[in-house]
Amino acid sequence: MARKVKAVVIGAGPGGYVAAIRLGQLGIETLLVERDRLGGECLNYGCIPSKALISVGNLVRKVQQAERMGVKIKGLDVDVKKLQTWKQGVVDRLVKGVERLTQAAGAEVLYGEATFESRSRLKVTSKDAEEWVEPQDVIIATGSEAIPLKGLDWDGKQVLFAKEALELPKLPASMTVIGGGITGLEVGTMYAKLGTQVVVVELLDQLLPGLSKDLVSVVERSLKRLGVPFYLKSRATKLKKTKEGLTLEVETPKGKESLKSEVLLISAGRRPRLGGLAIEKTGVEQDETGFIRVNRRMETNVRGIYAIGDVVGVPFLAHKASKEGIVAAEVIAGLPSEADYRAMPAAIFTDPEIATVGLSEDGAKAEGIPIQVGKFPFLASGRALTAGEANGFVKVIAEEDTGLVLGVEIVGPHASDLISEAALAIEMGAVAEDIALTVHPHPTLPESLMGAAEDVEGRAIHLPKK
Amino acid sequence: MAQEFKMPDIGEGLTEGEIGKWLVEEGQAIKENDPLVEVLTEKVNVEIPSPYAGTVLELLAAEGDVVEVGTSIVVIGEKGEKGKKSKGKSKGKAKEEEPPVEEKPPEEEKEDKEAKAEEESAGEPAPSGKILATPAVRKLARELDIELQGVKGTGPRGRIIEVDVRAFAEGAPPAKAEVVEEAPVEEAPPEEAPPEEAPVEEVPAEEPPVEPLPVVEAGPAPPEELIERMKVRGIRRTISERMLQSKNTAAHFTYVEEVDVTALVSLRKRVKAWAEERGVRLTYLPFILKALVAALKENPTLNATVDWENEEVLIKRYYNIGVATATDAGLLAPVVKDVDQKSILTVAREVDALSEKARAGKLTLEDVHDPTFTVTSLGVIGGVLATPIIHHPQLAILGVHKIAKRPMVQDGQVVIREMMNVSVSFDHRIIDGHVGAAFTQSLVRYLEDPGVLLLHLLEAEGNGP
Repeated sequence: MARKVKAVVIGAGPGGYVAAIRLGQLGIETLLVERDRLGGECLNYGCIPSKALISVGNLVRKVQQAERMGVKIKGLDVDVKKLQTWKQGVVDRLVKGVERLTQAAGAEVLYGEATFESRSRLKVTSKDAEEWVEPQDVIIATGSEAIPLKGLDWDGKQVLFAKEALELPKLPASMTVIGGGITGLEVGTMYAKLGTQVVVVELLDQLLPGLSKDLVSVVERSLKRLGVPFYLKSRATKLKKTKEGLTLEVETPKGKESLKSEVLLISAGRRPRLGGLAIEKTGVEQDETGFIRVNRRMETNVRGIYAIGDVVGVPFLAHKASKEGIVAAEVIAGLPSEADYRAMPAAIFTDPEIATVGLSEDGAKAEGIPIQVGKFPFLASGRALTAGEANGFVKVIAEEDTGLVLGVEIVGPHASDLISEAALAIEMGAVAEDIALTVHPHPTLPESLMGAAEDVEGRAIHLPKK
Repeated sequence: MAQEFKMPDIGEGLTEGEIGKWLVEEGQAIKENDPLVEVLTEKVNVEIPSPYAGTVLELLAAEGDVVEVGTSIVVIGEKGEKGKKSKGKSKGKAKEEEPPVEEKPPEEEKEDKEAKAEEESAGEPAPSGKILATPAVRKLARELDIELQGVKGTGPRGRIIEVDVRAFAEGAPPAKAEVVEEAPVEEAPPEEAPPEEAPVEEVPAEEPPVEPLPVVEAGPAPPEELIERMKVRGIRRTISERMLQSKNTAAHFTYVEEVDVTALVSLRKRVKAWAEERGVRLTYLPFILKALVAALKENPTLNATVDWENEEVLIKRYYNIGVATATDAGLLAPVVKDVDQKSILTVAREVDALSEKARAGKLTLEDVHDPTFTVTSLGVIGGVLATPIIHHPQLAILGVHKIAKRPMVQDGQVVIREMMNVSVSFDHRIIDGHVGAAFTQSLVRYLEDPGVLLLHLLEAEGNGP
């Protein structure tokens, strides 16, 4: 007997659970199917645990550097076991919160693995039961998973994905990171700060591929200060596993290198997580790499099937998934909703942090859009200097004739917290002058955004004349 | 940028349509509003114009395919571009065929590039292609089903603010519209002019005004509760397109004549009971249809359709008469097939059954298929003459008015006669005045003297197959 419900959401990550809550708010009977834990990859194995550990890494680093500020600490020690317990406590608490919110919204959670039997019929297999569901609408929110590399076979002990790397019971003495993208650098930097010897191997010619070079070079300098070597345009060719550790053969532009480490972190991209879903039974259209094609209403080509979050492709961002989840839920409820955001902010927790929204300087140039650029270095910020974190800058990219803010790029302290003002500016259709004329409190980091906006017209008070 | 065009929502409650005929080929360059495809649905056949200009990259459905509303049927893009790529948001208030799905468009990735390209057609977007409107205003526009591209912003630096969207929704010209600068005098046929450019029609096309028109200030909007909004959707939308198409192509002239139907009235009175015994509610319409066919046989060029592409008139040797029928959804014209081969009673039965089906919204594709001539009843309520619009691509339409007793002069005496007027519209491109007049007089003769009609029917039967 198949159970008939109005809506089923497959996957309870930041896309799926948000969609389920919104559906609940809109009075739509909803079943949220999750095969693991509420909160998905982000909350359990990704954003949240990594940020918990990164905070601690930053704290340790800060304490170590505090001597110049007159703070001396002897015998600094990190109890990784305790750190992990604390981190897990944070995660569990958030998962509980999601559980309560889902419940309160009236969405029912069903633990199990969902499999399409047809476009309108699902089998949900849990540990001890099988159940069939016939929903009117389905939201696929199964997310993405790390791509394994051939010859560097994942074992979860020595060769790790980010998930295991964030759950290590003890500090590894050394770690080689394959892939100098966001995850690789966030985790690698964190371990370097805690005392692990970290090396990064990147296939392309820059770390954090896709980001503007000037942002990345600030991070590269910081990695060098941390003592993290990185090999660009380099390819791992062979891995030898022994009891003592791993030896990785790497082809670099300067010849072969042999990197020894205790563990290896594979962070070489992500692919849609569709295993077990039998999506081929639905006729849902996917792109060449398997990501599901959707429109701005998050509708697939199959009526009644929606997809949101990582499973529809880049950028892999929890907040993008959440936004899309809300849109899909509202469309199901018949509201005229669509993902009409002008710009999607992104935050990267490297050292220093990077945050971007809208068009990058390079992107604008590539598209031939005439722009003006304003830049403000954190070295000119009183707050950044007093916090002892003055690396980086804020950059405002504005349309040449109108001053319309098209994008903002930030590398520096608390960039992740600073970007939201820029996102609001873009959504509201602000011009650089609007930001420049808005009074920002002193001394704070957001003043730097004001400074960069002033600099668009070359009249920043706190910058020397150009 | 390639755009996928999806099967639009043609009528109320219709979830699918049949691809009747592609009017374009892959590789063909098309302009916006060029006819794209003929879609057959249960209720109507609709020719759907292209919402985009470009090259037809790929036809995703074959003729005869039954396609669900919202399914992509064609990819239109630039020459050389690959088909089936991304989906672009189509724009434009005037394109009513645009399916709702498209209006809240498919865009997978909100790439600035795409957003830019799609917005470049806008009224006055910023050079980067951005239309300035806050998220809340954008949401309001969606709720009111308005494309921001057509809305003139009155906020700082041309921002579209809430009042602009509301004013647009109420059909008021946007405050401070610079009408003259935007007048697409040569390019756009008047029906394409978006509502906010309506004042343009007052500008004589030949002589562009030397001075800009005075700035139009929108008066205070009337309170919302005094306005009832009725969406132009479904069959109504189809009717509006068809009527406009007919008016814009056919050169209508209307010929009105009065018919003395005293004999027909008395005949019907006499045989009504007889028909009722046979389960038929006999109205005048079956007689009119029979008389019409008799007149058409004498004037064959009127039982025809015109194909301008090939510059041909297709004269039909069969007589399928569409009978315009008022329904809640709008005017429909179910077709009585082969009227010439059916008895008056059979015609009466079929007319009855079809109008019943039409009113119940249960017409099938077959019921509206291939009319050769259309009759419309103009005057149960009253009215002396009308100018019926031809059911394109037919060449004429017969409108019949109500029957009423009127004083007439006969043999120098004023007598009371049962009179009925007929208003017949013709397409003067093909049908000259004397042909139309001859047809009408022939029709009048059959209607005025049922005996002549009877003889014609017997004659037809005698010569029949």
